[in-house]
Amino acid sequence: MRKQLSVPERIGALGVGIAVAAAFWPMFTASTGLGAPCLLRTFTGVPCPACGLTTAAVELVHGHVVASAAANPAILGVATVTAVAVPLLLLRQLGVVGAPVPWSSRARSRMGWLMLVAAAMSWAFQLHRLGVA
Amino acid sequence: MNLATWPVRVGAFIVDYIPAWILFGIGGVAGRTDDGGLGPIYFVFALLGFGYIVYNRWILGGKGQSLGKKALGLYLVKEQTGQPIGAGMAFVRDIAHIVDSIICYIGWLFPLWDAKKQTLGDKIVGTVVTKA
Repeated sequence: MRKQLSVPERIGALGVGIAVAAAFWPMFTASTGLGAPCLLRTFTGVPCPACGLTTAAVELVHGHVVASAAANPAILGVATVTAVAVPLLLLRQLGVVGAPVPWSSRARSRMGWLMLVAAAMSWAFQLHRLGVA
Repeated sequence: MNLATWPVRVGAFIVDYIPAWILFGIGGVAGRTDDGGLGPIYFVFALLGFGYIVYNRWILGGKGQSLGKKALGLYLVKEQTGQPIGAGMAFVRDIAHIVDSIICYIGWLFPLWDAKKQTLGDKIVGTVVTKA
């Protein structure tokens, strides 16, 4: 039976997927001409809080940490969660670590607000970076 | 309710769109004119692809399962009642998914951490995806 994963482990697994995708992304865009444009920016000219994440991920997997953070520092948060959560995920799958303890509704609410503040900060960063504000 | 996990939902999404990608692909290749433009054959296949997408949405709302969701044993239901949402609301949900895409597609990742494993579009129309 598959073991239940905590939210950080799920994000960590996604982080691994992002890293793999980012390694091949430049080759994919060069050969197909396709990309992943931000719809908000395309239609309004205003970037969203997640703008720059593709560039940041590509730069990070190529070892360019400063360039990565300059595109979107949030990728460093994702990378940190991935680095911590993936070993935990493996230990959980091996049965070394028990099932995750669900968060209380208060803890969930607190994390929700924290993420909202982080998103607002990221948006301000992107607005500044792209010269909108 | 046994809520569906994000990877399974992604799998259903991919299965849902494979027939459409094939139809658009065939149209794109076979429908090319000599001058590199798009001929009538392309538009026939594009219409078939679009018709398939509409049909798939129709059965998703009516029966709670698109082809992809059926293949992976998932159901789209109204959060309050546990019943299918109807074809009309399935199309409204598609419109609501614009919110998921407009923030660099982050809304599509919400089921990874959301307690009800909902996208923002799901939250707007009050739907959940369950696993049989």
